[in-house]
Amino acid sequence: MSHFNRHAMLPDLDHDEKARQSFVKSLRGHLASRVMPGNYQVYASRVEPQFKAETGRAPADQHEVRKIMEKDSYYQYWSAMQRRSQELLWESVIEPTERQIDSLIERSKALSKKAVKGRKKGTLRLDPALKVPRYHTAADIHLQPGGYHTDFTADDVTAGVIYDNGIYIYLNGALGPENNTMGDLLVGFFKETFAGRKPARILDMGCAIGNSTLQWARAFPHSEVHAIDVGAPVLRYAHARAEALGVPAHFSQQNAEKTDFPDASFDLVISHIMLHETSKTAIVNIMRECHRVLKPGGIMLHLEIPRGKTPMEKFMFNWESYNNNETFAQYMTDLDLKAVAVKGGFDPATTEAVEYAPRMTQEQKNYSEEFFWKIVVGRR
Amino acid sequence: MPKKTRAKSVRTARKPAGGRASKVARSPGGNLNNVRLARVPKGKRPQYFSDPAIDKLLWTTITLAQELAVTRDRLDTMEQLLTDKRVLKSGAVDSYVAPPAVEGAREAARMAYVARVMRAVEAELEETTRADNPRSQDDVIAAVSQ
Repeated sequence: MSHFNRHAMLPDLDHDEKARQSFVKSLRGHLASRVMPGNYQVYASRVEPQFKAETGRAPADQHEVRKIMEKDSYYQYWSAMQRRSQELLWESVIEPTERQIDSLIERSKALSKKAVKGRKKGTLRLDPALKVPRYHTAADIHLQPGGYHTDFTADDVTAGVIYDNGIYIYLNGALGPENNTMGDLLVGFFKETFAGRKPARILDMGCAIGNSTLQWARAFPHSEVHAIDVGAPVLRYAHARAEALGVPAHFSQQNAEKTDFPDASFDLVISHIMLHETSKTAIVNIMRECHRVLKPGGIMLHLEIPRGKTPMEKFMFNWESYNNNETFAQYMTDLDLKAVAVKGGFDPATTEAVEYAPRMTQEQKNYSEEFFWKIVVGRR
Repeated sequence: MPKKTRAKSVRTARKPAGGRASKVARSPGGNLNNVRLARVPKGKRPQYFSDPAIDKLLWTTITLAQELAVTRDRLDTMEQLLTDKRVLKSGAVDSYVAPPAVEGAREAARMAYVARVMRAVEAELEETTRADNPRSQDDVIAAVSQ
């Protein structure tokens, strides 16, 4: 496992707290690499054959697959274990965070205030009047209690602390030492596709803790990088984390459906696995907003997770929708992302939804074979 | 567990290009106002097995497995520290043979432990075979209410 960069905004872990997190990593690694693939085997060897024997046909779609797989004892066991591992993951991070909450908040304030000689600082702008959209408040996304948006005390940063630690454990470190892999991946795609471009102003939507945002700020140190999210505690954390790492970025609490940025004010608008945490109406609004804030000639890139091709793959990918509160992912499965971007104002001739398969490490392959990403590319 | 290959990103990890990182002194921490962070996510938890009791049993089992892993790590830490401090020779725990008196006491303690773990079965048998065992709790309540 890669070594997690324990910057100033991460809580200290005592022996047993570390051991609890290590257990969750090992459990999840085992479930992902040794138990999860068995679902495909039991489907092919007993579940689908039985359905065919009874009906004379194969299951038509992921919903039919779900009905029969949920009765299978192998799937039940994996699914229940996977759910419990996700709950344990958060529990193992929440406890050390809660224990040190005072110093974490103090540190975030100090980092925000402290001037550093020789470099520009980033900024933080919160909007207490912002209404957190229902697609975030209906259920806590991927089971993080309180989601991205709940303040448990004044000046709270814990949602960010918990998210940063949690996603690292979630993929057993495969996201890189600063949870940087997705940002690096999209930066890489941008540099390959639009060689030589140097965007002066970049907007990262749905930035959460700014883990991907900072990879853009590092790749384009002369650009002005803005990042927005609806959650106040993750933004306070993102700001403090960016300052702790010495990378300036401008964070503000805004809904990507409607921001306060002027028309034609960005050269590049990006998001990293944000779209599947929105809604049917929001996703079109977001595309429209991207179109509005982009300068003529500007570029839009949204990184998304693939959701399978066969009914069985779609069912397995959408385990997340039914068991991990990635609720909108279900609807996203068969959504034509290019059509959504066009509905938002982008030119069908220059808009595309591409599949992108970067080279993966063995560790990343343990989580998914032949993994590819989806990238929505729009040009203003 | 198969040996995991290190993520490529470790070797290629970038140095921050934005300037010097800020160092902030770490204070001892604490939670003076007893802030309680939520432990239960909002949403509907699925039922995985035909009987919800099995879901709860699995919950408890996995949590116990986690605590056992923590305890094993802690014991290993103790062994490592004791070896480092030359209190123990490397491999001393594995090559330890308990003298008869120690082994006898251990065996007795182990038997008592197994009996405690298995008491549910024993309790059922005892209740069934006890001659004057009440047939129901209502009978007991009626008896003491007279």
